[in-house]
Amino acid sequence: MARHDSRVGYGLPVALALALHVGVVVINVLEFPTSDEEQSSATVVKATLVSTETTTDQAQRAEAAKARAADRQAQEEAAAERQRQQEAEQAAAEQQAQQAAEQEAARKAAEEARSQAEADAQRRAEEAAAAEARRQQEEQARQEAEAQRQAQAEAERKRQEEARRQAEAEAEARRQEEARKQAEAEAEAKRQEEARQQAAAEAEAKRQEEARKQAEAEAERKRQEEARRRAEAEAERKRQEEAAKRAAEAASSSLDSAIAGEEEAIANARQAAQASNGFKDLVQSVIEQAWIIPPNLQAGVQATVHLTLLPTGELVDVRLVQSNGDAAFDRSVLQAVRRAAPFREMQDLPPAAQRDFREFNLRFRPEDVR
Amino acid sequence: MNDSMSIPHLIMNASGVVQFVMLLLIIASVLSWVVIFQRSFVLRRAKRAHKDFEDRFWSGIDLNELYRETPAEQETQGAEHVFRSGFREFNRLLPKTRNPQSILEGVQRSMRVAWSREEERLNLHLIFLATVASASPYIGLFGTVWGIMGSFQSLSMTQQATLATVAPWIAEALIATAMGLFAAIPAVIFYNRLSAASNKLLGKYEDFAEEFHSILHRNLQGRGDQDAA
Repeated sequence: MARHDSRVGYGLPVALALALHVGVVVINVLEFPTSDEEQSSATVVKATLVSTETTTDQAQRAEAAKARAADRQAQEEAAAERQRQQEAEQAAAEQQAQQAAEQEAARKAAEEARSQAEADAQRRAEEAAAAEARRQQEEQARQEAEAQRQAQAEAERKRQEEARRQAEAEAEARRQEEARKQAEAEAEAKRQEEARQQAAAEAEAKRQEEARKQAEAEAERKRQEEARRRAEAEAERKRQEEAAKRAAEAASSSLDSAIAGEEEAIANARQAAQASNGFKDLVQSVIEQAWIIPPNLQAGVQATVHLTLLPTGELVDVRLVQSNGDAAFDRSVLQAVRRAAPFREMQDLPPAAQRDFREFNLRFRPEDVR
Repeated sequence: MNDSMSIPHLIMNASGVVQFVMLLLIIASVLSWVVIFQRSFVLRRAKRAHKDFEDRFWSGIDLNELYRETPAEQETQGAEHVFRSGFREFNRLLPKTRNPQSILEGVQRSMRVAWSREEERLNLHLIFLATVASASPYIGLFGTVWGIMGSFQSLSMTQQATLATVAPWIAEALIATAMGLFAAIPAVIFYNRLSAASNKLLGKYEDFAEEFHSILHRNLQGRGDQDAA
């Protein structure tokens, strides 16, 4: 009984309807835009358009020049940056090598000191051994002397008991003296050794200090060098930047001034022309409204007519000044002028302006009217 | 000129009233298509259901069994609904009265109620389609008239009346009429189509109700004869 549980919902219909509309819209948007041929503009606007075209052209060129300058500057900056990086890397490598050399030197110095200390210790031991031998010798000699003395003294022991005792005491004293001397010598030797060691240590310390100082000096020198180089690079970069900026500025300022001058000229011309344009445009538009343009014209036909008016606006004379040679077209223009006359707006002008408009030329082109 | 005459550009540049009219017409068109799709599905399904039910009804099945087989009251549709309400009324009246005439009248009444419910269900929203079909050309025309009014007002301000000054206005105004027709034409076509289908289906329900009525009448007649005998 599948049919009972299925009331038709609205989800699918809504989705289908929306899809249908979106499809219609998409088809419309994709297909419909049809091109329409270029619309020609009115006369007054056309007169300004020519000059704005040139100004915009120049402005575009200036823009392009600016963009190029900025581009070049960016490239130079990138190159300088690369160079700086390379230098920094080189400096780092040098620093590393120097550090390694310093460590090596320090290690060598320490080794030397150690070997010296070993030699010192050996020498000291030898000295101690020699002293011992000497003492033994002396002891032996003394024993021998004593034995001799005993042998001698056997006879005259009693007589010489006193002397022997004295001699013994003397020997004793001498021995003590000897021992004291020896101890003193030993102490002296030790003191000397210590002093020497101290001196060596001091020398070592001094040497290390020296090395450290040197390294520091070296590092300082290198740092300064680096700073100097960086400063130079910076200065160079700045100089280039400055130069580029100056160049761009010069270019843009010259262009700007050119543009400004041109605009001023345009403004002046427009102002001057506006007075005449007002009336002339009026006449032209009146004539154009009365103009029946013949069909099947060639492209680019135009005609210039010379109008002579009375101060009241009546048409005295109209004649063709210049045309492209299409007789029907020329005739239609002349007819239009005659049909449009009189131009009563002439009476509204101030008398001074009226004099200016007694005679003037007008140019007609079919694409201006349309 | 190419860009400014394209349809989206024209719609965007239209005046407020014309844009409102266009929006209204787009909404009407979308809703009418929703109704078209939904009604089409409903009618197709109802047709299939009716065919299935008739097959079952005429297959010689016992009516009590068929009544038990059909699901609860709210879920039945179409001829099944008619049959169910009629048969229920018949079963309720049978023990209460001996008069066949009154039983048949009650059955007929309840079947008529069920039939009109079915009619309401099938014709749901079709009125909306009819409204869109008849009103949206006028709405579009209103937008067009308004747009052309604007175009003439703007024409009065220009010194020279060229076609280029009027063309965008008129084009934009005519889009409103086009939209109105775009909404109206499918609505007309599908309103006719769907209402015809729904009427045909309702006619079938009516036929079925008559046939069922005659069956019940025959049963009662036999019983009345038995009673009389």
